[in-house]
Amino acid sequence: MRLYIHWPFCLARCAYCDFNTRVAARRVAVAYAHSLCLELALWREALPGRGGLRSLYLGGGTPSTMRGEEVAELLAYCRRLFPVRGDAEVTVEVNPATWKEDDFAAARRGGVNRVSIGVQSLDDRVLRVLGRPHGAGDAVAAVRRARRAGIAAVSLDMMFGLPLESGHRFTQDMERAIGLRPHHVSTYALSLSSRSPMGRLVSRGEFHMPEDDVVADEYREASRMLREAGYVRYEISNFCLPGYECRHNMAYWRREDYLGTGAGAHSLIAGWRFHNLESILAYNRRLHDGVLPVSGGGRLAAGEEKSERVMLGLRMARGVPERLLPQAARLADLEEYGLVRREGGRVRLTERGMLLSNPVIAELMPA
Amino acid sequence: MDRSRIRNFCIIAHIDHGKSTLADRFLEITETVPRQKMADQYLDRMELERERGITIKAQAVRMEYAPAPGDAYRLNLIDTPGHVDFSYEVSRSLAACEGAILLVDAAQGVEAQTVGNAYLAVEAGLTLIPAVNKIDLPAADIEGTVMEVADLLGIDPGEVAGVSAKTGEGVEPLLRLVIERVPPPGGSIEKPLRALVFDSTYDVYRGVVAFVRVVEGSVARGTRILFMATGREAEVDEVGYFSPEMTSCEDLQAGEVGYVITGIKDVSLIKVGDTVTAKRNPAAEPLPGYREPKPMVFAGIYPADSDDFQELEDALHKLKLNDSALTFTRENSQALGFGFRCGFLGLLHLEIVQERLEREYGLNLVITAPNVVYEVVRRSGEVSHIHNPSEMPDMGTVQEVREPYVQATILVPPDYVGPVLELTKERRGLFQDMVYLSGRRVELRCRLPLAEMVIDFYDQLKSRSRGYASLDYEHIGFMPGDLVKLDILINGEPVDAFSTVVERGRAYEQGKRITQRLRELIPRQLFDVPVQAAVGSRVVARETIKARRKDVLAKCYGGDVTRKKKLLEKQKEGKKRMKMVGKVEIPQEAFISALRTSREDRGR
Repeated sequence: MRLYIHWPFCLARCAYCDFNTRVAARRVAVAYAHSLCLELALWREALPGRGGLRSLYLGGGTPSTMRGEEVAELLAYCRRLFPVRGDAEVTVEVNPATWKEDDFAAARRGGVNRVSIGVQSLDDRVLRVLGRPHGAGDAVAAVRRARRAGIAAVSLDMMFGLPLESGHRFTQDMERAIGLRPHHVSTYALSLSSRSPMGRLVSRGEFHMPEDDVVADEYREASRMLREAGYVRYEISNFCLPGYECRHNMAYWRREDYLGTGAGAHSLIAGWRFHNLESILAYNRRLHDGVLPVSGGGRLAAGEEKSERVMLGLRMARGVPERLLPQAARLADLEEYGLVRREGGRVRLTERGMLLSNPVIAELMPA
Repeated sequence: MDRSRIRNFCIIAHIDHGKSTLADRFLEITETVPRQKMADQYLDRMELERERGITIKAQAVRMEYAPAPGDAYRLNLIDTPGHVDFSYEVSRSLAACEGAILLVDAAQGVEAQTVGNAYLAVEAGLTLIPAVNKIDLPAADIEGTVMEVADLLGIDPGEVAGVSAKTGEGVEPLLRLVIERVPPPGGSIEKPLRALVFDSTYDVYRGVVAFVRVVEGSVARGTRILFMATGREAEVDEVGYFSPEMTSCEDLQAGEVGYVITGIKDVSLIKVGDTVTAKRNPAAEPLPGYREPKPMVFAGIYPADSDDFQELEDALHKLKLNDSALTFTRENSQALGFGFRCGFLGLLHLEIVQERLEREYGLNLVITAPNVVYEVVRRSGEVSHIHNPSEMPDMGTVQEVREPYVQATILVPPDYVGPVLELTKERRGLFQDMVYLSGRRVELRCRLPLAEMVIDFYDQLKSRSRGYASLDYEHIGFMPGDLVKLDILINGEPVDAFSTVVERGRAYEQGKRITQRLRELIPRQLFDVPVQAAVGSRVVARETIKARRKDVLAKCYGGDVTRKKKLLEKQKEGKKRMKMVGKVEIPQEAFISALRTSREDRGR
């Protein structure tokens, strides 16, 4: 099994964000941490004897709004409840503006062996437009500190497809990012919810999103740069040096069991998908009453499972077995358009297909 | 009543020049309708007509009026349809009268429709009583309008009456003028029955109600009658008149106007313009002027939701009960599914039918761009009529294609003659003549292909004359043209709903316009899609819809797979609203607006 822990608190809310995050007083965070511990303990009783944890991922929000020492404590608490395998991947998401060198060191001592740094861009103007609470220099410093603290794997989150007003050049960002020699790079297209402040600016016509063709060109160029620097694309959004795939995220695509804890977290356990209450207060209340904070979900039907296998499997470079895809005619068309490739009984997306993963996967997903 | 005391007349006026208000005043003065019961605009029955300010169906009202004690007259006011699409119906209404009030708005002046209908009235031998209306308005140019009317009719300005239908000023004197100047009806009561059907309506309980003008003889309850054009026989259940409610009476005699009910339920058996005679002692000849109503404009009408097909069919059948000019046949479009190819007298007729289907029957419709009927002569000599461009036969087998033309009358201030001439030239118009009316307005006459009119001619005319030009037209039959079928191929496959018939010399221009429009209307697909316009096997224009490049999910957040699933399912849903043509997904909207022209290009 794998464990995800959600930490919904941030230093500041970014202009593009509509995830389950908030900026809150320390007091609120402490109460939440207490609930988290209660939840973990309840799960420990509900799911006895499932073997050691193969990976643990502390995400958010911004888990690095906790001190490194506090993260180590939380991990130690987990270890007391669930056995953790010796080779387990333990990741923490880190905001460049948060951790000092001793935070990284404390986290490493607590068992963290991978950090995912939310760089997004290495251009200060762009970061300001995004409403990020840090500068490019902070990101560079964070990478250096993580290495110095002995964290085994460093990943950078980078963003593309930003509003024209930001002056963002993804290829420039990528060149600088590669210069930092991270082990892993995640690239995400900005997709704006109309509820986010930036989304509202766009819908009011004050901000303008770049043409898809421009974004596509830039993205392909950035991919080429990564490839030439020795990075392998193992999933639609993820590149790494050989052997540095994020095993926790791979588990999502492979539909391995994972337990999500914290407000709004999602789980897949033994064919059941379910999720927790989103509201922190409701989440706290439930746990205070000694009840699991699950708010919805259910057992997947056989058809759903198959359709998930396709939807998630096609995200990975290795693709899915061809027998999962019944629409042979559509498959042949998509291959002709250069969007998928068939090889050795498997089907995978080409690089062009990955940029069009939404419509291509929608075409291939069983009904 | 003594026939010398009967007057049959109508009011000819442009839309909004005050015809209905004047009719209301007449009904009041003659006490046909008590003032307090006076519904606003009594003659316009249908809600739809009222909103549009026009009258579709003619009706007749009998008014009893004595200008002096003991000096009583029976006045039959026959209402006329107010739009060019119904010029045949107008001509039949005129044929039921001996006189017409030509009513012109003093603030607007003479409009093309006034001219067109005035000519029709003169041709029908009617006595015209010219009057300018709205003399109470501060903006009225009474003198100028009087001059225009006098010029138009070639009469002395002193003969033109001035009225205000709104205030009632001059209305009673006008009614007296009708009595003085309009001749009483002729025709002998001794002769065999001949009555003109000038309109009809459908009553759910009583069947078809035919409006007739008895020209000779008489008709009464129990008379066995014969409709001469359709050959249909029937026994008269009831005769009567409108006052303004239906009022039955003993009989209708030569010179009188009223209705006849026979129990016939099928409106297509009682046609406007037909002659009613008696089975026993029938007339030798029908009255002149009968014509089959011929739809000239066609469009595909489809239910937006294919489940509503049956409802659409039922609604069309019901509409046809009191709209005999409407035609429809089932049609199956590869792109739009099952629907109907409907025939209309003209564009306004189409719009009225569309609105009634949507408003009265609650249907949600997809209506294709309208086209005209083509007459195709094969090399074999066989002649056929094509109602849908996609049915145009292979040009190799065709000797000649003919298209319907109209005789257009355009009235325009002298300043805009240039732009209007330019427009008629662009639209393949054949210029005929140009007459100055009183120096304020020019009357242009030309022949135009109806196909050019159905696109957006009227809008263009209005925009190029800053709204001052007015238009009237009548159908004058088919004329040969150098016409070809223009096919649209999407990803190499011809799409029936996009086919058009165009003048050979304009195939390139037209093809370019449609392909460019389709490039905008069809969303980018997963592959490059060529859009071609072709005449036969020759491609005259080509555009490419470039393949999509990017559509990818943002960050996956904490293993939230449901969020992704929902997004992809939404994409799949979106696909269902598209029509698959070959491998290309085309939105329904494209079928409706691809063939439209500048109207939409200007910014809809």
